Amino acid sequence: MSGEASAGAGPGAPEPWGETRVVGKPLPRIDAWERVTGAAVFTRDLTLPDMLHAAVLRCPHAHARVRRVDLAVAARRPGVRAVLGPDGPGAAIPWYPDREGKPTSRLLDPDCRYQGEEVAAVAAETLAQAQEALAAVAVEYEVLPAVTDMERALDAGAPAVHARGNRQGERFGYSRGDLEQGLAQADAVVELTTRSACSVHTPMEVHCSVAHWEGHQLTVWDSTQGVFAVRAELAAALGLPLSSVRVVSHFVGGGFGGKLQLSKHTVLAALLARAAGRPVKLALSREETLRCVGNRPPNRLTVRAGARRDGTLTALGLEALGTGGAYPASATSGLLVGDLYRCANVRTAHDNVHVNAGPGRAFRAPGVPPAAFALEQAMDALAEKLGLDPLELRLANLPTGSQTRGLPFTSTGLERCLREGARAFGWREARARARDAGPLRRGVGLAAGMWGYEGDPRATALVTLLADGSATLNTGAVDIGTGTRTVLAQVVAEELGVPLERIAVENADTGTTQFSPPSGGSQTVLVNAPAVRAAALEVRRKLLGIAAGELHAAPGSLRLEGGAVVTAAGRRVLLKDLAGLAERVSLVGVGERAPHPPGKLALPFAAHFAEVEVDVRTGQVRLLRLLAVQDSGRVMNALTFENQVHGGVVMGLGFGLTEERVLDHATGALLSRGWHDYQLPTALDAPASIDWLPVDPHDRECNSVGAKGLGEPAHIPTAAAVANAIHHATGVRPLEAPMTPPRLVALLARARS
Amino acid sequence: MLPAFAYARPGSLREALDLLKDAASAPLAGGTDLQGCMEDGVARPARLVSLAAVPELRGLEVRPDGSLRIGAATPLAELAAHPAVRQRHAALARAAASVGSPQLRNQGTLGGNLLQRPRCWYFRGDFPCARKGGGTCYAQDGRNARHAILGGGRCVMVHPSDTAPALVALDAVVQLAGPRGARRVPAGELFVGPERDVRRETVLAPGELLVEVLVPAAPPGARSGYDKARARGSFDFALVGAAVALVLRGRSVERARVVLGGVAPLPWRSRPAEQALEGRALDEGSLAAAAEAAVAGADPLAENGYKVAMTRGIVQRLLASLAAG
Ligand SMILES: Cc1cc2nc3c(=O)[nH]c(=O)nc-3n(C[C@H](O)[C@H](O)[C@H](O)COP(=O)(O)OP(=O)(O)OC[C@H]3O[C@@H](n4cnc5c(N)ncnc54)[C@H](O)[C@@H]3O)c2cc1C
Repeated sequence: MSGEASAGAGPGAPEPWGETRVVGKPLPRIDAWERVTGAAVFTRDLTLPDMLHAAVLRCPHAHARVRRVDLAVAARRPGVRAVLGPDGPGAAIPWYPDREGKPTSRLLDPDCRYQGEEVAAVAAETLAQAQEALAAVAVEYEVLPAVTDMERALDAGAPAVHARGNRQGERFGYSRGDLEQGLAQADAVVELTTRSACSVHTPMEVHCSVAHWEGHQLTVWDSTQGVFAVRAELAAALGLPLSSVRVVSHFVGGGFGGKLQLSKHTVLAALLARAAGRPVKLALSREETLRCVGNRPPNRLTVRAGARRDGTLTALGLEALGTGGAYPASATSGLLVGDLYRCANVRTAHDNVHVNAGPGRAFRAPGVPPAAFALEQAMDALAEKLGLDPLELRLANLPTGSQTRGLPFTSTGLERCLREGARAFGWREARARARDAGPLRRGVGLAAGMWGYEGDPRATALVTLLADGSATLNTGAVDIGTGTRTVLAQVVAEELGVPLERIAVENADTGTTQFSPPSGGSQTVLVNAPAVRAAALEVRRKLLGIAAGELHAAPGSLRLEGGAVVTAAGRRVLLKDLAGLAERVSLVGVGERAPHPPGKLALPFAAHFAEVEVDVRTGQVRLLRLLAVQDSGRVMNALTFENQVHGGVVMGLGFGLTEERVLDHATGALLSRGWHDYQLPTALDAPASIDWLPVDPHDRECNSVGAKGLGEPAHIPTAAAVANAIHHATGVRPLEAPMTPPRLVALLARARS
Repeated sequence: MLPAFAYARPGSLREALDLLKDAASAPLAGGTDLQGCMEDGVARPARLVSLAAVPELRGLEVRPDGSLRIGAATPLAELAAHPAVRQRHAALARAAASVGSPQLRNQGTLGGNLLQRPRCWYFRGDFPCARKGGGTCYAQDGRNARHAILGGGRCVMVHPSDTAPALVALDAVVQLAGPRGARRVPAGELFVGPERDVRRETVLAPGELLVEVLVPAAPPGARSGYDKARARGSFDFALVGAAVALVLRGRSVERARVVLGGVAPLPWRSRPAEQALEGRALDEGSLAAAAEAAVAGADPLAENGYKVAMTRGIVQRLLASLAAG
């Protein structure tokens, strides 16, 4: 339903919705048919006429200097149409900027700092020919000593990943109040150190780019989360104007943060395509995706927490060590320690080191799930020490604003997440019911979380109502599998009363659609939906103006529903029968995302509750049930909301229970090279039902649709809740993630002896 | 990437054996292991000889005396679902049912399961390890959480098969056929440890095929089972597996077979655990004694000490379920 007046959600924004007719309903995806039948064309599926296939030669050593590359033989192999080595055109494109923006490497750099770094690339008629040609490339390496364990990276005598040492910038941190004083004021203090393994995004669709030149115009189909971000980086890398680069990404099989930025393979595809004068496809293998296109950095986090007898927190400290791998990448997060709970005395310190391993990238709430794993276990331990229910300890320290940024929240659903979640889960009963004898132990745990990014305020959308009463939506937003297209079409349907099946969405093409930031950071809906709504409202205004004239009614008295205009008296006129619309052919509305509410932060919150059964004989954990309570503001579509929660939770279980990138320490070689040794959770690792409960604080200030982010907050507390449940069940603190049977059975054995 | 290869599909055992005289040929059953081996470069056959149309390798029968004859090409899913196998040779049915995932059990065969190559990530990776003819076992001082605590030495890989321990526990016999004729080998003698030959896992000679597996009838009072701990709910090898076959007389264990998987380079028959059970009732005391005996002599590596506790746990869990009937 519409609203024109400006109030609530920032300057210039329309009135927030009250009741909605289409938004919020559990509507199936508008592209479900394509997805289910396989008709959807993902970049990995794309074949262009005359297209070549490319493959990349990768350094087999974790640390080496390329002395010489001989491509002559490879270039003569059957089917080969282009080769590119460290001396080739474009090889010197600067890569991996540090915090100051200074590049630390090049596209094809003779200094290889992890096993799998790009050395050369070949394009041939078939993939098999490209790979055969790679085998014919002669490379002379000077093998250098490597360090892979981040806890050894700063040791004296550790091999230097970069000439200027293994620190990624100086130690940094945040402080308010006085941590030591806060600890001194506490009646109970806990300190614990958690370690979490490196995990890898490994989305269902591998990273893939198809590059095609027409004169100086480059079109790239890319499996990416952000077509505009990739265009900007690609144009800069190739020295082209933005207008010469078009990036398209229609269907994407997942990203999780690993496809937010330009990757080397995309540039290599473009360079090879230019050299060959033919389109080039470069799809990474599953193994390559596990090596080269990002990961969630491993963390070692020490948390100190102190509270008074009544549960009031007096101190929170964090010492964080992480590694973004061989190149600059953020590795740890201070968000939760700084902002999840009200606390006067906080200090965080972060060290980020280099090791000879694949570089990190943003991974679903970068650094925050590991931080939740540490902080929320510390809170649990603190509650235990104080003799408080862990729920009560959290309720005693609820924030109302960001203490690190000094801004109030537009809404803080954390209290409701905790209270309503505890009620729905039966927290107190379950806590009392725990089984603590016999080989199968049961326990329950909870953890809270929040997300700290309020989204890019810039996005433009275009809505067009056509003469027959159907509509198109034009938006640059990528639908990475979350249902973006569907949710945004619902917004159009809501405002124009056009049935969903008569709305076509054109999206994620820099050549034809409007700017949108990357689909990541849990911003996609809350950034794009308001822009779409503004565009639809403009069309609505024009349409009601036409209808009012033809029907001799005041615009405000008309309703739009079922593809028709309805008067106050109940008269229905189909949109296609409006002469004014037919005459205009189409009505266009351009919508901009309004600015953020000034002086406030709109952020989502969550609390997860888990019940586990642990077999103390084997360390196997069975998740009996999990309840995810999410304050993400308005539920835009109950089905896509549920999908996001399921995905976030299962990925959280992967982080918490099964996933671990394994490197050989002696050689730096990747050992978990496929989906067998890199263990994603299976259907049997998820609980039979993942329950979810939305908490909607009816936030009228956050933006004009009332939605906050979901993708990341649905993932943040999961592993921590499971950890606390394992502790409740067994009495041991699982401080290392993933909490595998090997780790747990060893902990339990140690606890017994 | 899968390298190029030729393909043949013989219609009889004789024809298959003829084709396999060529040393560059390899038998192809379900291919679930062989394909990965070829992709990883640990097998480089120029020709695959499909066993799919060889009638001698098919069929699963219960013979009049209660014994089983299982063609080597029998899919694991069929074995796992077979009522007689489930009832009288539960260890085998349970082991087959715990392999990988439904797809792998539909495609994978019993023969292929016994003859699959090790899963060690150094062996499958780009390391010239002892099993590939090099001089070093990289796992020995490397990332060895999934490796052996028993019977290691020159190679500390663990035998990956779920069905192998079950067949050893059930005193099964395998029938082999080769260019020089047929022979029978007890399942317990099919496997080769690294001290005997670090390059191979079984006694099969080049060109030899596993034709069928014979499982003797279950005597009165027999009970058997298989249990495995893995790192995730499905689609995973045993961190520790155990097959136990017991013959009970009254409450007393007359005969016990305890065979472990996932802890040694071959299915590991634990005679100390069997002795801890034989002649005793299945009670808390004998269960604990057998669990303790099962890890006698265990010599863990840097990252797999947990397997000692886990082996105890699995043996105890399995025996407890057998004791409960
Ligand atoms: C992801 C994954 C998970 C797995 N999980 C498990 C698990 O949990 N437990 C487990 O036990 N296994 C597991 N496996 C391993 C294995 O692939 C299957 O168990 C399967 O049974 C192998 O049978 P197959 O018919 O596919 O063998 P194939 O791949 O066809 O053959 C395997 C080997 O045996 C040879 N061979 C096959 N049949 C004969 C014969 N009759 N005579 C002579 N040689 C023969 C082949 O030449 C080849 O060397 C897993 C495999 C994968 C890929």
